[in-house]
Amino acid sequence: MIAFLHERRWSWGSVIFGLALWEFISRVIVGSKLFLAAPTQVFEALIELSSSGELGKHIWTSTLEFLLGYGAACVLGVALGFVMASSKAGKQSLQPWVSGLYATPTVALAPLFILWFGIGILSKVVVVAVLVIFPVTINTETGLRTTPTQLIETVRSFGANSRQIFFKVSLPSALPFIFAGFRLGIGRGLIGVVVAELFGARSGLGQLISQSAETFNMPNLFAGVTVLAAAGIAMTGGFTWLEQKLLPWRD
Amino acid sequence: MSDESVKLSVANLTKRFGSLEVLQDISTQIRSGEFISIVGPSGCGKTTFLRIIGGLEQASSGDAHLDGRRIEGPGADRGFVFQQDNLLPWRDILANTEIGPEINGALSPEQRQNTLRLLKLVGLEGFEHYYPRQLSGGMRQRVNLARALAVDPALLLMDEPFSALDAQTREIMQTELSRIWEEGRKTVLFVTHQIDEAVYLSDRIFVFARRPGRINEIIDIDLPRPRPLSIKRTPRFVEYVDHIWKLIEEDVRVSVLEEHTG
Repeated sequence: MIAFLHERRWSWGSVIFGLALWEFISRVIVGSKLFLAAPTQVFEALIELSSSGELGKHIWTSTLEFLLGYGAACVLGVALGFVMASSKAGKQSLQPWVSGLYATPTVALAPLFILWFGIGILSKVVVVAVLVIFPVTINTETGLRTTPTQLIETVRSFGANSRQIFFKVSLPSALPFIFAGFRLGIGRGLIGVVVAELFGARSGLGQLISQSAETFNMPNLFAGVTVLAAAGIAMTGGFTWLEQKLLPWRD
Repeated sequence: MSDESVKLSVANLTKRFGSLEVLQDISTQIRSGEFISIVGPSGCGKTTFLRIIGGLEQASSGDAHLDGRRIEGPGADRGFVFQQDNLLPWRDILANTEIGPEINGALSPEQRQNTLRLLKLVGLEGFEHYYPRQLSGGMRQRVNLARALAVDPALLLMDEPFSALDAQTREIMQTELSRIWEEGRKTVLFVTHQIDEAVYLSDRIFVFARRPGRINEIIDIDLPRPRPLSIKRTPRFVEYVDHIWKLIEEDVRVSVLEEHTG
């Protein structure tokens, strides 16, 4: 542990220095928590919000929205990617939509989804799913399509049928790509949750942020942002760990 | 040649890619337990011939029979050793070696014993749970060989399996292959462009000519077995190599010139 801290001393130093600078600027230079909350004030707000149970409620709502949208997008994205990789008609008919919608900032359509699906969780689930599905689709398709042909030929030489070729070669070969798509989806999904909630929600971290902004409660606003940042870091880190566990054969 | 001893029988085999005749009217027979090498200049169709026997490509006309059955496509009665090792990077060595039996629904405790025996035979005992990227090129080619042997093929097809290895590793692999072959006496079709490799390993050598690809001459290699590497310096061995080189020299010159002029 000491060795680890020592090894990463510049990282720790940089974080501590940054927090100290932030504290100094907000307390001494800005001097008003209406404009900028200091790290210690954000920490107090976090304690207060969690002891009242309010933070837990917001986290629960946002987690549910994220998981449902993200899960649906992963399943559908892999399926779409599979269709695109395995049939020329599928590829040609889906490609313009996938490329076009991936490049479009679809998060701008969030108000429309809220109009259509209400201010409950369904509209947020849809926004998350729309943001996550395209990187998953594109990566799945790329992974399946770039399976080395020599590997396919090798299992074919033993008499493998097309189903065996898919499950024993194409799919495992595409897994690193598919996982990369899932990892890209985490950040986009989090943005989806927050932005969709900003446009209208009863609870959730985005709703906490927008409500705090309206009442100039900067400590609470930063508390919401801090929780989101921590969730993003934890999920991306967890995913990297999971990849190493599930795909140990890679460098 | 009596009917029982014939392993592979090829009749009037022809392969065309468009108007280009890659193989012209090849007919030959290979006996059970023979080690046959095919040598020839680039573009003589030797790899195409091997791929047709492996069922990876279709002949344009003519056919081949293995143990009396017409070859229609790939199958576990043949083991193909590719030029590149083509190991599946996500499978450990054991699982890579067993892919053939797995595809043919033949996994069993007996098969596992056989796989472990083969890995020992190719000198990879103790590496069963390594991943391909942890092995050297020579070791991966040994897995490539064990994988082909794991289906217990009637015919082993080898497509320049040592060409990607450095010269020293290559010589070692030749002696290893010779040793392994003498233990099992599989029927082998071995494609190479290295003449001394062919002479060292084979009972007979098919020398191919190009444009169109065809068998120019068949040479019996009458050297005692087992063959130590030092046999490569004996006058008999050198005579064989010289003779084969003279047969293909002109073809090689032409093919080199073609490559340079595009």
